[in-house]
Amino acid sequence: MKNRNIAFLMLIIGIVVGSLPSVVTDAQDAPEASERGKEVYEESCAHCHGTEGRGDGSAAENLLPRPRDFTRGLYKIRSTEAGELPTDQDLYDIITEGMPGSSMPGWETSLNADDRWELVAYIKTFHEGFKEREASPREITLADKISYSEESVEIGKGLYTDLGCIECHGNIGRGDGTSAPTLTDEWGFQTWPANLTQGWNYRGGFDTEDIFKRFIGGIAGSPMPAFEGDSFLHFGLTSEESKRLTELENKDEMTEAEEEESGLFYEKMDAAVDVALNRTEGMELSTDEQQTYDDAMKVVYEKSWHLANYVKSLMPEERPEPAIGNSVLRSQYVQGALPTIDDTAWETFEARYFPLVGQVVIEPRQFNPTIDAVNVKSFYNDTEVAFLFTWDDRTHTVDETDEETGETLEDALAIQFPVKVPQGPTAPKPYFLYGGRLPVYLWHWKASAPEQVTELTAKGVDNVQVQEVQGDLQVTGTYTDGRYKLWVKRVLKTNDKKDLQLDPGVFVPIAFSAWDGSNGDIGTKRVMTSWYTFVLEPMPSSRRFVYPPLIAILSLGLLVGLRAVVQRRNS
Amino acid sequence: MKRLSLFTICLIILVGSWLVLRFGIGGVVSVPIPASVIAMYMGLIIIAILVHISVEDSLFQEFLRPIRETLVDDRRRIRRRVIAVLIPLFLLGYTYSIIAQRASPPGSPRDAHPSPPLELTYKDEVIGTMQDVVNPFRHYEKDDPEAFKAHVENGRRVYYQNCFYCHGDHLDGQGHFAPYLQPLPANFQDPGIIPNFQESFFFWRISKGGPGLPAAGAPWDSAMPIWEDYLTQDEIWDVILFLSDYTGYQPRTFGEAH
Repeated sequence: MKNRNIAFLMLIIGIVVGSLPSVVTDAQDAPEASERGKEVYEESCAHCHGTEGRGDGSAAENLLPRPRDFTRGLYKIRSTEAGELPTDQDLYDIITEGMPGSSMPGWETSLNADDRWELVAYIKTFHEGFKEREASPREITLADKISYSEESVEIGKGLYTDLGCIECHGNIGRGDGTSAPTLTDEWGFQTWPANLTQGWNYRGGFDTEDIFKRFIGGIAGSPMPAFEGDSFLHFGLTSEESKRLTELENKDEMTEAEEEESGLFYEKMDAAVDVALNRTEGMELSTDEQQTYDDAMKVVYEKSWHLANYVKSLMPEERPEPAIGNSVLRSQYVQGALPTIDDTAWETFEARYFPLVGQVVIEPRQFNPTIDAVNVKSFYNDTEVAFLFTWDDRTHTVDETDEETGETLEDALAIQFPVKVPQGPTAPKPYFLYGGRLPVYLWHWKASAPEQVTELTAKGVDNVQVQEVQGDLQVTGTYTDGRYKLWVKRVLKTNDKKDLQLDPGVFVPIAFSAWDGSNGDIGTKRVMTSWYTFVLEPMPSSRRFVYPPLIAILSLGLLVGLRAVVQRRNS
Repeated sequence: MKRLSLFTICLIILVGSWLVLRFGIGGVVSVPIPASVIAMYMGLIIIAILVHISVEDSLFQEFLRPIRETLVDDRRRIRRRVIAVLIPLFLLGYTYSIIAQRASPPGSPRDAHPSPPLELTYKDEVIGTMQDVVNPFRHYEKDDPEAFKAHVENGRRVYYQNCFYCHGDHLDGQGHFAPYLQPLPANFQDPGIIPNFQESFFFWRISKGGPGLPAAGAPWDSAMPIWEDYLTQDEIWDVILFLSDYTGYQPRTFGEAH
């Protein structure tokens, strides 16, 4: 009897386990489009993507990136090859998870799975291509993945330069390449190359596989090309051949034999590019042509894995935690001189992360921020405090003229404190946006004058005054590879009543505003934070070495004493 | 099986109740119980144990026996030494961690439901008393469903052009700016928000924003804009209709009793 029960149980477990993978991992196809899909679309999507799916909903004009225009069938995030439409699963995943770094939220908690599938079906009706599609789209294979290693990252780093990624994404990936400010998408809207060091803003995820798929499939509608045909350096050549050709091309003068050699390479490349073009257009390939294509793509796949590993190496594993709760900005005490801007002492600890949001309170407003966050570190000694602020900005703008207003745009940062630190948790702070009834004290730094900050007192955005007495602040500002670095040093106590006075152990509200000139930021059109907290971390009390051992010895003494008492009683 | 000594039983009860309070009820089942409440319960349990063992002298002696044995009996030498090391070590670590602890920043307590002024105003124009003002378009819901729908649609437009950055596509307070604001934007899908207030209250909060909050509830850090600077009265009333239409929650009314 018992055995039979066990056998029965095993059978059930077997069935459950056996059926699991098919439920969990298999990609699904959407149902037929229905009224329900339309209903959900109009309730949840149409305000951005438009009732006709043209990406022209009422909210669209304030958004960048713009909401997708579904009628063109150009989808950025796909698991399919260049020129292909996405799979149903791709669309479902985007609806479910959203697109980080854009205004597209994930709908996992607000729409159930059935409704999300209905949406996929409905969205497909906006583009004829989905209807005409006969075979299922060609998906990118991840089978030959080259796993992450120092060696692979090193190869990828070389490819990053060779393939021309630098032109848009910049020397070390901060999206600050020379052509970065000139890019537009298929619809003519400005688009910025990704800052590769901020994986959390990648629209389609930042796993190595995700990055790899963006290379092979391209990001449709954006200037990011798919790695195929003539958008890939030396398409059709093996790695060795490609190296040799580069070598030849770099020669001042080629011998006749070398001319001939490079000519052969060009022929080979042309042939491969032609085959790739034919294939994209849907032509049947002969066995030979198929072979040419496969050989060419084998090289592309291999290089793409190395490049993906390199890109992965550029970013932290996760978005840093905002500096709230116990992870507030704590200035470290040092004895003697404070470290200057390039001192390695700054590398000894993690910066605090202050994410920025668009200022949408006062006109003109900024709905589409381009600066992600300000990172801050600080040291202080008995008389002074030094801060190191860093933030990524794709362009170094010092005097660009706004085409519409004629105003001069430039990059800037403002660090804001209250003039008087609120005493106690319920004491009011000044209004977070440049103060109000209660004044704020500001350090205003501009990229055009990198060696100075201006001390300001403000009681609101339209009541800002340059302080008559400018304190003796030491300032250094630099811009390299898409990153600003600003170092500011001030004495803890000043004689100016309009300045903030600093004492160790006192929690001081701190807030930031930043301007990206090339994004049209000026005045109230800026990115900012609400109030955060900063403290000169007091030296830990030396009592910590006195009391604990004392208590330990005392407790041991008590135990011994207790034993003596019991012993005496017993005898 | 050897019977457990009275001391061991008491110890098990003590540790067991602490675990249940701290992790059983506190951590798993509902919100954590505050440490002070746990301390109170534990105090009661200790008193109960002391009362129990001091009822009879024999019981008290029985309770003390293992302690006495551990202290003096030679057969318990190993246990004695272990305890003589562990207790001081524990106290050493505990006091050190308390003294070396870094100060935490002050919290920011806030009034969840700020009290509105007596009069509802738009810019400087008085609309009426907070108690009496009703949404001028609400009556269309019964009288003219088509007109009502048009107002809701206009409210939807206003919402997605101005509000969804913070309050979210789904009105759940999770817009793409929201994670980096303190306090977090209101979640209209929360059943405690819309049904608890009159529409005039929403009109007040929307039109005056963070800067219009009363001084009594400081420190206000709200990033809510002063919307009367950008929106017309009608637009504000329409967006209020949209909020309740989308979420399905009806704002509170003080109409006649049914």
